[in-house]
Amino acid sequence: MAGINTIKERKPQPFVVKLFLFLIILYILDFTIGSFLKYLYFKQDSGLLYRTTYSIDSTKADMLIFGSSTANHNYYPYTFEKRLHLSCYNTGRDGEIIFYNYAILKGVLNRYSPKIAILDFTRDEFMKDQSSYDRLSSLLPYYDKDPEIRSIIQLKSPYEKYKLFSKIYPYNSLIFTIAAGNANFNKNRENDQEGYVPLAKIWNRKIITDTSIEKYQLDSTKIKIFKSFIRNCVDSNIRLYIIMSPQFMKYKFEDPSILIGQEIAKKFNIPFFNFSSDTEFLNDASLFTDIGHLNDRGAKIYTNRVIDKIIQNQQNESTLFKNSISFVK
Amino acid sequence: MLFTTILYFLFLACALPIYYLLPVKYRNYFLIIISALFYMYVKVEYIFIIIFIILTNYLIGIQIEKSNSKKNRIRYLNLSLLINIGILVFFKYWDFLILNLFGFLDIFHVKNPFPILEIALPLGISYYIFQTIGYIIDIYRGSQKPEKNIFRFSLFMLFFPKLLVGPIERASRFLPQLTKKIYFDKENIIEGGRRIAWGLFKKLVVADRISIYQTVVISNPGQQGGLTILFATLLYTFQVYADFSGYTDIAIGTARLFGFNLMENFKRPLLAKNLSDFWRRWHISLSSWVNDYIFNPIALNCRDWGNWGVSYALLISFIVIGIWHGATWNYVLFGFIQALALIFETLTKKARKKISKKIPSFIYNNVSILFTFLYVSFSLIIFRTATFGKAMGIIDGIFSSPGKLFYDKPSTLLFMLLGCGIMIVYDIQKEYKILRFSLFSNNYWIVQHLSYALLLIYILLAGVFDGGQFIYFAF
Repeated sequence: MAGINTIKERKPQPFVVKLFLFLIILYILDFTIGSFLKYLYFKQDSGLLYRTTYSIDSTKADMLIFGSSTANHNYYPYTFEKRLHLSCYNTGRDGEIIFYNYAILKGVLNRYSPKIAILDFTRDEFMKDQSSYDRLSSLLPYYDKDPEIRSIIQLKSPYEKYKLFSKIYPYNSLIFTIAAGNANFNKNRENDQEGYVPLAKIWNRKIITDTSIEKYQLDSTKIKIFKSFIRNCVDSNIRLYIIMSPQFMKYKFEDPSILIGQEIAKKFNIPFFNFSSDTEFLNDASLFTDIGHLNDRGAKIYTNRVIDKIIQNQQNESTLFKNSISFVK
Repeated sequence: MLFTTILYFLFLACALPIYYLLPVKYRNYFLIIISALFYMYVKVEYIFIIIFIILTNYLIGIQIEKSNSKKNRIRYLNLSLLINIGILVFFKYWDFLILNLFGFLDIFHVKNPFPILEIALPLGISYYIFQTIGYIIDIYRGSQKPEKNIFRFSLFMLFFPKLLVGPIERASRFLPQLTKKIYFDKENIIEGGRRIAWGLFKKLVVADRISIYQTVVISNPGQQGGLTILFATLLYTFQVYADFSGYTDIAIGTARLFGFNLMENFKRPLLAKNLSDFWRRWHISLSSWVNDYIFNPIALNCRDWGNWGVSYALLISFIVIGIWHGATWNYVLFGFIQALALIFETLTKKARKKISKKIPSFIYNNVSILFTFLYVSFSLIIFRTATFGKAMGIIDGIFSSPGKLFYDKPSTLLFMLLGCGIMIVYDIQKEYKILRFSLFSNNYWIVQHLSYALLLIYILLAGVFDGGQFIYFAF
């Protein structure tokens, strides 16, 4: 390209030194702050993040409940303990899906095998949705510590292992939550009962019917992980129940994820209980907090219904698992 | 390729060393190639549109200069306008025009014979079409020589940092930079890097954080109390500013890494004392473009009308600004209410000056900033909602729904307020120079280094790294 003016070239040497120093400062800050956050993260003894750590590292409950917010707020562990004479812990976490549940299961199986597991299944469970992958960030703090869940975390993006060169990155957006998890007031703020967090609000609106046709792209990775979850349970002799919680909404059309979920469960001979259109709940808004979640009263009623169903199922199939039936009253 | 993704920084990390290792005479060619690749990454077919625009306008620009008669010059100008505006209308406004025109004609039982195309809008088309129109009008007016070198002209059009979200560059500013030999200069790398860091802070820490809250509140205004809707409405102004100016900072910073200076697009707009001032500070490359090519010619033609002429020019200019943002009526309405306020300001200029003399300047200035901010926030309700009805629903919700402020957890509020606070304090310091001590421009390089390292650390701590499209991509 013609018609050119010339600008004097400068020596880059001091720049390289300064750049190197800048990178050293950045590394020291990242390492120090990241290590401190890691220490505080695993020192928490209450709150949402602590419950994930407890689920992966510490629980030895005979019965585990897996799932998203519907699992966490709908299944009351003390009722399971009372009626089934088994210890129970609710590992459900708001906004999480099958990837998270599978990671928790793998973490647990690294230590022991529970006797019973409940996997709460939701509508649109297999819908292709980037946010499902984004939410795997909740597992980043465990990447170093729990190698068995690394492959699941790497589903988040192909660059995740490079991002994790930063010591701070796993604790992104968690600084205030970690601080709260180490504070005493947090224990009173959100009291969990073996992982279960009760919801108090009472829903006071009329039921509505969703008439839209459920048509969405299915995520083959989610289906694959769902199958792996079941296979791991079967291989570890865990009696698995896949259950859909009640919802305060009617649907005109069938959800494709439910059909696929039922089909897979049938293939593995796993019971699939669907309470999503159970009339006891559909006719009583006062059992709900919102259209997707039961309140504390609703959760306790629902848990009893789930136990009835489990007992009934065990009685029906008593010959199939006579070794594990002894705990049923 | 989003500017905030790992992929973009890998792209930069590969492109920058190659650029400076290449002999100087080949560097601009290299930029053309990587800019084309950058654009094709979005969708390969888009490149043919921009190549067509480059070739036609390159030739037309030369023909305008060559033409001896004014008649021919006008013909070439009109040809260029027809091509550029035609392409923009076809891709961006076709469905809007057809639906509205035949929606109206349906009253007279005239049926629509044209198809609804629903074509995906080529990214950045509004930016590079406006840039091209500006270039051709400048040649027609005689204030710009046409670029004879097709490669230089191509790089002016394609230069990747400004390709998708501007700034809408002027030929007179950018083309001369392409004739200079650009050597490696550490100042370019340092300043470019700093600008990118600051842009990342605005985009990831402020805009994307508020966006999470916005999505929850504004998508369900019926389920939120008035205080929550008002809070979300005010935050949205911060979000749009942080989003767009953050993205522009990354664009300007990237260009600087390669030795180029792009024009500033924002000058602390949230500290504007009136709406005229706001539009001199907000999306400067668009508002100055509209000022030069639409407002001034109309105002000049209508100078005999006095204030009415200015008002008319303002109305047309801001409807163009509104509709530039998108082919929906809410953008037209957004432009219209901006114009109304600016007309009010024009007509009351003397009266306001008198009032300002009677009130202490500290109070007058701060109240003016507050009122301007509130008016902009109010108009952005219309900007962000798809229909007029939804906008009214939000305004109604602010005044008629009681209820306390919604937030899922305290950290949501803390992150948003801290991010906005840092951004606005930085702007206030830059505007008024209250503190003599400065962290980011400190004389001691170690303080500077530490400050920028801490900024990056804060981005790692508080940035939102997942999901989220840039709001301005829709334009």
